[in-house]
Amino acid sequence: MEAWLKALLFPGFVFLLIVFLMIFYLERKVLADVHLRTGPFYVGKWGLLQTTADVFKLLQKEFVIQRRANKLLFSLIPFVAFIMVVMMVAFIPFSERSWVVSTSFDLLMVLALVTGMSPVFFYAGWVSRSKYSFIGGLRVVNQMISGEIPLWLSALAAAVFFGTLNFIEIVHKSSLVSFIVLLPAFLIFTTAALIISDRPPFDIPEAEQEVVYGFLTEFGGFNYMILVLSKLIELFAIFSVGVILFLGGFKGPILPGIVWFFIKLALLYLFTFVVRASTPRIRMDQLLRFCWKVLTPLALLNLVFVILVKMFIS
Amino acid sequence: MGNSIAASGYTFVLEERKEVSGEDLGLLQEKLLQLNWGVQHPASGPMRLKVWVDGDEVVKVDPDIGYVLRLLEKLVEYRTWINAIVNVERACFMDDFGTMAGYSIAAEKIAGVEVPKKADYVRTILCEAGRIVSHLLGLGGIVGVLGVHTPTQWALIAREKFLDAFEVYSGQRIATSSIVPGGVRFEPTGKFIEKMVTAVDFLEKEFIPRYGEVFIDNPTLKIRTVGIGKVSKEKAVEIGLAGPALRASGVPSDVRKDYPYAAYGELDFKVVTREEGDAYARYLVLWEEIQESAKIIRQAIEGLPEGDYRTKFPVKVPPGEAYVNVEWARGCFGFHLISDGGTGPYRLKMRAPSFANVWALPEIMKNVKLADVPVIFASLYMCHGDIDR
Repeated sequence: MEAWLKALLFPGFVFLLIVFLMIFYLERKVLADVHLRTGPFYVGKWGLLQTTADVFKLLQKEFVIQRRANKLLFSLIPFVAFIMVVMMVAFIPFSERSWVVSTSFDLLMVLALVTGMSPVFFYAGWVSRSKYSFIGGLRVVNQMISGEIPLWLSALAAAVFFGTLNFIEIVHKSSLVSFIVLLPAFLIFTTAALIISDRPPFDIPEAEQEVVYGFLTEFGGFNYMILVLSKLIELFAIFSVGVILFLGGFKGPILPGIVWFFIKLALLYLFTFVVRASTPRIRMDQLLRFCWKVLTPLALLNLVFVILVKMFIS
Repeated sequence: MGNSIAASGYTFVLEERKEVSGEDLGLLQEKLLQLNWGVQHPASGPMRLKVWVDGDEVVKVDPDIGYVLRLLEKLVEYRTWINAIVNVERACFMDDFGTMAGYSIAAEKIAGVEVPKKADYVRTILCEAGRIVSHLLGLGGIVGVLGVHTPTQWALIAREKFLDAFEVYSGQRIATSSIVPGGVRFEPTGKFIEKMVTAVDFLEKEFIPRYGEVFIDNPTLKIRTVGIGKVSKEKAVEIGLAGPALRASGVPSDVRKDYPYAAYGELDFKVVTREEGDAYARYLVLWEEIQESAKIIRQAIEGLPEGDYRTKFPVKVPPGEAYVNVEWARGCFGFHLISDGGTGPYRLKMRAPSFANVWALPEIMKNVKLADVPVIFASLYMCHGDIDR
């Protein structure tokens, strides 16, 4: 396939859009199942088109900009966020041949872009000039900085073990041994992924009952959709990295690679949905204590462990 | 300083626009940020809490109520003795039987009407079902403010079964208008009893095991609620807490036990108390009271006597006064009813438990984090309709 077709159709923009509508649908269905409800049902077969309908509803909404807000930045931030997260997905190989770009420092790029997201979200709260947005913006910076260090340390532990940053090479080198050795890193990585993408129980910046909707409070319609979508894509990208580093990416018997990739991804998502349905949100100071006193030291110890294993293997 | 107010030992800087070299610094310049936690807020309900925060710490809260004032007490004066129940039951939609029972008992006291035994038992069944319905929403609410909506959904399923029973009984699911001075309005048919037993069965066999497994010893829930909004026994009496919040502080105050009304004197139940006095204790009190109430309903259904369910209530009631307390879902609800010999009440004053709990908020919410505000608010178990009346 031509490169631009790849970027546009598969595994690019159109493909991603469909994947997100499905993930969102799956989330609502799984949550409904835990709630003992039916969930989306009427729009399309089994309610499959409900999320699409919701997106079109958001597109029709009025473009509201708060009077005190910085108009240029307020309109620009959602697109900046969107472009940044879409860049992350470009590096991810969904199968042997379906990727947009492949470089020798894929992992580094994705992690750097994830780190770059926190100021964007902070600015989203800052330019809204609203109290709840402002508090949400401060919280998102606090939370992402505390979560990124364990994320980097656990992801780089995998890079140390495989000796490369290229995703496709990592997938080729992965095996049962690598899965077992990197299991602690995988757990730390998943927790850190939940923290930096504000998923429950770490959804402190968007805690509805405390700060309304955090930095998203003043956004509406299309802007809101783009921002929420970029948060979803961020989690998707981080989970994809997790699948590649720790679960063997597109490797698997019989079925084609892309199917295996999405089965593994769906398992991770299922885990987050069930956590969301059963775990109350924790407090900011509790999260900071957890991140700096538990998760970061564990990530450091894990890095030491991986380096020792690497010494003995090679 | 022109833009600051000194009140009750604090200095509050009001929101202002200060420009530094042409740039509006906005919110960063403010030491204390005043948040309007309500009226339009996901967890506040129709009331406003002015919350002053310093970073993440709450400095002071100031409740601002009156958004759902419906003048129920005044409206009662234009109704006849029987009709007044429709205003009384609207104090709060979640448990309307308690308020109707209290008003009816007060009216019967003035009129000197003796209620048949069967009516007493039906009132007990309905009041306890109302308590369960209300407590289910309360349980869901406390976990709901922590971002998990599963308990609410599960509780609503259990609640529906009780509403089905109410529907069979009175034709209405929520505003049933079923307890009137002189007894109850409808014959408790076999179908109603059957539905009520089904509801209690569902509650005890399905809801309680399922809910108890996930959301009672939940470690994350404990992290958030244990030790939060602590009220000692003395403090709880001093600030006049009511209902489950008072019992969670270790005060075994329950009108059902202390001054039995309806059929409570003949039934066996215990008053649930906890010593800790924090948000988690209040949560557990609600949880255990649901189970006690289910037991009371079973006993009352077993002991349901034969006979009339209603006696004639006079159109004109002789002049007099009565004050009656009932244990409503949210605490002790007082009715001061005055008759001047007319066809309707001359004056009704309702003493609301939620109103008492609102004014405990500024006391309890000192030196807590912003994230604790909704937890404490939900755990005090207030109803907005009841606060404003």
